[in-house]
Amino acid sequence: MMTRDKIQTILKKSVSFSEGDQTEAMLYGGKSYLTGFANNHIHRNVGENNYNLSLRVAFGKKIGSASVNDFSDEAIKNTVKRAVEIAKLQEENPSFVSFAKPEEAPEKDFFVEKTAEVTPDMRAEYVKKILDKSKEKGLNANGTFVIDLMQIGVLNSLGISRFCSLTVASLKSVILGDTSSGYSIETSTNVDDISVNSVIEESIGIAEMGKNPIAVEPGKYEVILSPYAFAEFISSLSYLALNARAVEEGTSFLAGNFGKKILGDNITIYDDGLSPETIPMPFDFEGVSKKKVVFFENGVAKDVVYDTLTAYKNGKESTGHSLPQPSSFSPYPMNIIMKGGDLSKDEIISHVEHGLYVHRFWYTNPMDPRRAVITGMTRDGLFLVENGKITKPVKNMRFTESIITALNNCIELSKEKRVMYDSSSITVPYVRIKDFTFTSITEF
Amino acid sequence: MQRIIEEALMVAKKFGVSYADVRVIDRTEEEISTKNGSVDGIKSSSSKGFGIRVIADGAWGFSSSFVLTDEEISRVAEEAVDIAKASAKTKIEDVTLSKIEIYQDRVEEQVKIDPFSVPITKKISILLDADKLMNLQGIILRRGGMYFSKEWKTFASSEGAYLELERVISNAGISAIATDGKDVQTRSYPSSFGGDYQRKGFEFIEEVKLLENAWRIANEAIQLLSAKPCPSGKMDIILESSQLALQIHESCGHPTELDRVLGEEASFAGTSFLTPDKLGKFKYGSDIVNIVADATAPFAIGGFAYDDEGIKAKKIYLVKNGEFVGYLNSRETSKKLRLEPMGAMRAESWNRAPIIRMTSINLEPGDKAFEELVSGIDNGVLMATNKSWSIDQKRLNFQFGTEIGWEIRNGKLQDMVKNPTYSGITYEFWRNCDGIGNKDYYHIWGLPNCGKGEPMQVMQVSHGASYGRFRNVQVGVLR
Repeated sequence: MMTRDKIQTILKKSVSFSEGDQTEAMLYGGKSYLTGFANNHIHRNVGENNYNLSLRVAFGKKIGSASVNDFSDEAIKNTVKRAVEIAKLQEENPSFVSFAKPEEAPEKDFFVEKTAEVTPDMRAEYVKKILDKSKEKGLNANGTFVIDLMQIGVLNSLGISRFCSLTVASLKSVILGDTSSGYSIETSTNVDDISVNSVIEESIGIAEMGKNPIAVEPGKYEVILSPYAFAEFISSLSYLALNARAVEEGTSFLAGNFGKKILGDNITIYDDGLSPETIPMPFDFEGVSKKKVVFFENGVAKDVVYDTLTAYKNGKESTGHSLPQPSSFSPYPMNIIMKGGDLSKDEIISHVEHGLYVHRFWYTNPMDPRRAVITGMTRDGLFLVENGKITKPVKNMRFTESIITALNNCIELSKEKRVMYDSSSITVPYVRIKDFTFTSITEF
Repeated sequence: MQRIIEEALMVAKKFGVSYADVRVIDRTEEEISTKNGSVDGIKSSSSKGFGIRVIADGAWGFSSSFVLTDEEISRVAEEAVDIAKASAKTKIEDVTLSKIEIYQDRVEEQVKIDPFSVPITKKISILLDADKLMNLQGIILRRGGMYFSKEWKTFASSEGAYLELERVISNAGISAIATDGKDVQTRSYPSSFGGDYQRKGFEFIEEVKLLENAWRIANEAIQLLSAKPCPSGKMDIILESSQLALQIHESCGHPTELDRVLGEEASFAGTSFLTPDKLGKFKYGSDIVNIVADATAPFAIGGFAYDDEGIKAKKIYLVKNGEFVGYLNSRETSKKLRLEPMGAMRAESWNRAPIIRMTSINLEPGDKAFEELVSGIDNGVLMATNKSWSIDQKRLNFQFGTEIGWEIRNGKLQDMVKNPTYSGITYEFWRNCDGIGNKDYYHIWGLPNCGKGEPMQVMQVSHGASYGRFRNVQVGVLR
């Protein structure tokens, strides 16, 4: 890993080489390791050491940007020169006012040494426990064990100077049987928080319960969605709806609905980069502190996230949700959290007379952004629920459903939650939703 | 470059590897986007680094770095070996590779105009001219974009391969979004998700003809707001070539990847219904369906001179006269099934180990004029330009949505319809293909964003297609 001093030196040099009215330098990267397994052995095992320096230079309202992963003085000077040239060739961006301005912000760091100390042999040992149990049960284990060690530094000519390091450990198991499959994943900044036994228990348990599934007719079902399924179902809201760009471009269903109750009473969803319930991040890629942003409070549409550009444009303050700029996906909520309920997962299942338990959704894609209609498949565990109990495994089905409709039909939420992480986090409970639409079936 | 490679291979050999290869990549990219009459962003980036892949103790290891110093090369080579030895602790059998011909070669991309020699102002001006043409009443969002990349890759292996390969990509595309306050409709040109991509220089931008099509797509987006909804039910459909390209991608490209078939992607992307027992014995489509994997296709971004295991580009059949006959494979997976290695191992960049990827997966053109395809339909829909896609993890149940459609009644194109969707089971769908457009409509579309693998790798692939007619398809989900 680079030292903090080295990162600061690169950032300072970058800004000092620039003749722009304003200059911003952002350095992001680190080391990343992934041990992948399939067919009960490690088949892919990789490591990476990579950093990227992104520069933005502004002359008045003209902005240029360039990035590089060579940090020699010559390469940085050339990259600054390129950003300056681009800025000068640009037309004015009428929405641009300024890069981020300094603010009072306590330092926060999420680097866990224990996670950073994990070696290839240790990753293999974790994985071997899953493989051994899978072989013992006559099943086929697949999955990954990921260790990410990340650093981010942002410095600009207005006085912003931020640094943070972060570790992430994530263990995933996908167990295949002859006619079934099961899934489990745990993610934390601290590798010691990951329980390989609970990952084994859940993924093997679902695979064993799922043997010899029956086919049921597509149609409307009451469903219990696990946090894995529910996070996947609502994940597209990040770019379709919950940001200022989507509101401005008219694709967000929040546009024109702020202050109105558009979802069920029990729906409260927010973004909070500093919550203990998420994989945290203290500031965004412009160096702005993460603010808590409430999207829906008891069903009422409240707010969306902003970066500096969209904030100035709308007379707001950045909420600290910029992606590395320039980006057509920025601003973007990175730490979505849904408020849970009072019930346990088992209590929720016990309330369902006839319905389906969905362990996981897969390959979801929006079909109608404005109505937030999503299609996708079930995967790795679909079960019939009868008279309050999971009774039979079911062959996979395709759903086509509006997130808005589903969040108006949500009857119950669990107190248990899971964090799902893939560069950004979504932390959600188990949910019970009525009249959820399945549109076709597949052969397995 | 040679020094880095020699050092890496030497260190790997010192640790007793049975195989090693090294890729060094130096890539420059430029991305320009416009939005509603202004420049939205210009990104200029460069990235270089190296990756070392080894087999030690009979198992794979890979490591990579952006630091090109002797000390770091040694560290990374040693780390790749350590990683391989950790993999070996769970091995069931030793990794073995098919034998291949070993090449030393240098291949430059044949471009007419180096896209990095063209001033940014010229590129911006084309996009803003197209933007103006899309500026119609009712259009709320106009987008335009261009992307260019140039890279030099050096590949060398412990078996003596040494390849220096240049790759140049150019892209352009536009889109218009219309709203009436209730509905939102999008049209894109020449295809959705960024437009079209080819292994050409700036000359490609003129061939794309953005300005000739900008007004038309904006106008279509507005018309879609008041168009009637696509009908639903079982009926015949014609897919325009860019939508058919995505159909080929999802329902033929992915399920013929042999790593998926053998379960190596089960953790993420999934597996495949095209299991080895079906090879040569399964009716994938109707007799007129011929699908090739052709890495030699000129200008196709799924094409290349050599893959990332040093295999020279090949063309093979995946589906011939409707029979499933071939897989996309690697040296390791071809050895397992005793197949000929066909060269489909590709890595996104220096920091990723190669995995099996699509090359240019092309549906060979048929013999029908467009009018003939339409005239053979009593009740159906013509669908164009992808809007949404989803398919199960064995690549059987799919559902696609397109930006626009037109009803076909009594052999004639009728009214425009909005939100067309269709769904089906892969082999049933392809077995119902009874007409393919001729070569006049054939085009190889560049898809730059095929995601696969862990860690995720985004790959440039391509698909050749003309029009395709399919009988008795389930149309319509959205109402």
